Amino acid sequence: MAKTYEKDIKLNDYSKEVLTDFYKTMAKIRKFDENLIRLMQEGKVSGFYHSGIGSEGLSAGSIRQNLRDEDYIFYNHRGCNQKIAKGVPLSKIYGDFLGTIEGTTRGLGAGIVHSADPARGVLGQAGTIGSQLGISVGTAYTSKLTGTDQVTVVYFGDGAASREMLHGSLNWAGLYKLPVIYICENNEYAISCHVSETHAVKENIADWAEGYGIPNCVVDGNDVLLMHEVVKEAVERAKRGEGPTFIEAQTFRHRGHFEGDPYDYVDVEVLQGWKDKKDPIKNFAAKLMLEKIVSEEDLESINAEIDSEIAEAIEKAESAPLPDPKRIYEGLFA
Amino acid sequence: MRKITMRTALMEALNEEMERDETTVLFGEDVGKFGGINAVTKGLYEKFGGTRVFDTPIAEPTIVAAAVGMAITGNARPIPELQFGDFVGIAFDEVFNKMGKWRFMHGGQMEMPVTLRLPIGIAGGAGPEHSQSPQALFMHGPGLQIVIPSTPYDAKGLLKTAIRDNNAVLFFEHKVLYDMKGEVPEDEYLIPFGKADIKKEGDDVTIIATALQVHTALDAAEELSAKGVEVEVIDPRTLAPLDMETILQSVKKTGRVLIVHEEPKTGGSGAEIAAQIQEQALFDLSAPIKRLGSPDVPIAQSIYLEPFYTPSKEQIVQAVDELMEY
Ligand SMILES: Cc1ncc(C[n+]2csc(CCOP(=O)(O)OP(=O)(O)O)c2C)c(N)n1
Ligand SMILES: [Mg+2]
Repeated sequence: MAKTYEKDIKLNDYSKEVLTDFYKTMAKIRKFDENLIRLMQEGKVSGFYHSGIGSEGLSAGSIRQNLRDEDYIFYNHRGCNQKIAKGVPLSKIYGDFLGTIEGTTRGLGAGIVHSADPARGVLGQAGTIGSQLGISVGTAYTSKLTGTDQVTVVYFGDGAASREMLHGSLNWAGLYKLPVIYICENNEYAISCHVSETHAVKENIADWAEGYGIPNCVVDGNDVLLMHEVVKEAVERAKRGEGPTFIEAQTFRHRGHFEGDPYDYVDVEVLQGWKDKKDPIKNFAAKLMLEKIVSEEDLESINAEIDSEIAEAIEKAESAPLPDPKRIYEGLFA
Repeated sequence: MRKITMRTALMEALNEEMERDETTVLFGEDVGKFGGINAVTKGLYEKFGGTRVFDTPIAEPTIVAAAVGMAITGNARPIPELQFGDFVGIAFDEVFNKMGKWRFMHGGQMEMPVTLRLPIGIAGGAGPEHSQSPQALFMHGPGLQIVIPSTPYDAKGLLKTAIRDNNAVLFFEHKVLYDMKGEVPEDEYLIPFGKADIKKEGDDVTIIATALQVHTALDAAEELSAKGVEVEVIDPRTLAPLDMETILQSVKKTGRVLIVHEEPKTGGSGAEIAAQIQEQALFDLSAPIKRLGSPDVPIAQSIYLEPFYTPSKEQIVQAVDELMEY
């Protein structure tokens, strides 16, 4: 059965620079999300948006300081958390939502899914959740084929984990010892269904990996440093040629499945508990201040910096033109 | 007569048929307590209980395969739902080869009373994998019946027929139509498959349209009528079986044909309909058959580009004007 990943982490083992980077990445993700919701409320962005607020630690911790541009990620459909952590420029992500040519799709438009930045190892995402599970064994196999040490990290929700594709993917990854790291973002719900209503498990989703002989664990996904450490070990294992790792990271959605979801199927007290006690940003900031690594003023100035970075990105994305309608006829074939 | 939305009409059909036949079983993602992401199955879980109405894991091939398995026992009448018709691609083998062929390839010994509900269509920035109209793919899938209603009245009568039918039905619901209201009688009625409906009569041009495009065609018809051109708008309602008789009668009268659908033009259902018209009534035609469909490229997510995929009233009017020049 999947073990819970634990580690006694001392802040002093990290440089102030690295710790600040984790904080900054999480704060940037959240502010990006809040501003996107504002743009939706102003009627500038339409379509579905699945807010990633509440699980920033999972993405910042797994990606920052662990992955290089040449490492691949397949992000999931909740927020833009992983893309931001991987360094995709904010103006490009906003541009995709706004449909301007600043977007990575040069005006075709993208919601959470379909933004891509191959130079940063971001090879896109499907509208059909969980399809990335199959595609990721292809990128990982290619690292093996070409003899590079590039790893692939694939993110997917608890709900997406119930796709049949997961089992095909785990079988390949285990069989060919592929450098792929599975990160199941378990926020307990898939739209309205609690994970206990839709998954047959011994105890955790990560237990499924056990059957394929794949090292696995459950981890507090809202602890940015714990996330960082567990993924670091997995990346090292992959680079040593020892194959895949399956990490089930526990978190919770602060908002509904999509903007506009009444979100009445979740116990209000449970939700409030996650917001009050397990907010990854609030908790990390408190820890940094308690150990006097940063002051309140430091955090304020970081936040102010992010605010202006976001304002600039939105300005850049919004002021770019919409594409010519002929755009739809471009780029179907290479 | 009372007016209700297509959503309510579908809900009534499900309710009535599930009451009438206790072997019916309805399942899919979030169809239970939540009532479905399009709120079509609201109240069914409370009324019929968690064994007959249940939420499934996110596993589309298993949803369809399980429906096939239930159906071939002869003891269950499954009504599965996929959240988006586009996801039929994930369950393609189960739909195309299992639902469609199981009975035939086993010598006709079993029945396939499955009604698979599939929401389709461009509905506002949902992107290339949540906006498609894949119905034509199944026109060369033997063993599959294809239903595609355009009004609440048709939706209710056809869904009731679909559920009672002992053969596989793919039931396509255009998402923009869910909120559209129309007259639906209180009394029970059924609409047979293979019976097209003439939504408006006219002598000059025959327009064959499906789903949302029936309404665009009717809007265009009004504008054309003001100019003195009377079009006849035919909604086939089922693409398989296809009511060629009604279509050919109209063609005989008008000699001019325009086919309009939201599916891509190439290989869309209009291609098959046009082929059958020219096979059977070439000498009734006084002009080449025209087709309007979406461009042969994936649907862009941008709401600014989306309008270029949906045939418009203006395009229909122009196409009719061109036909009238013959
Ligand atoms: C194959 C497929 N089935 C269904 C959907 C519709 N859908 C989008 S998100 C979602 C729930 C996903 O839940 P989970 O994977 O737990 O991620 P979360 O939204 O909780 O982050 C569903 C059913 C889809 N996009 N793709
Ligand atoms: Mg989830």
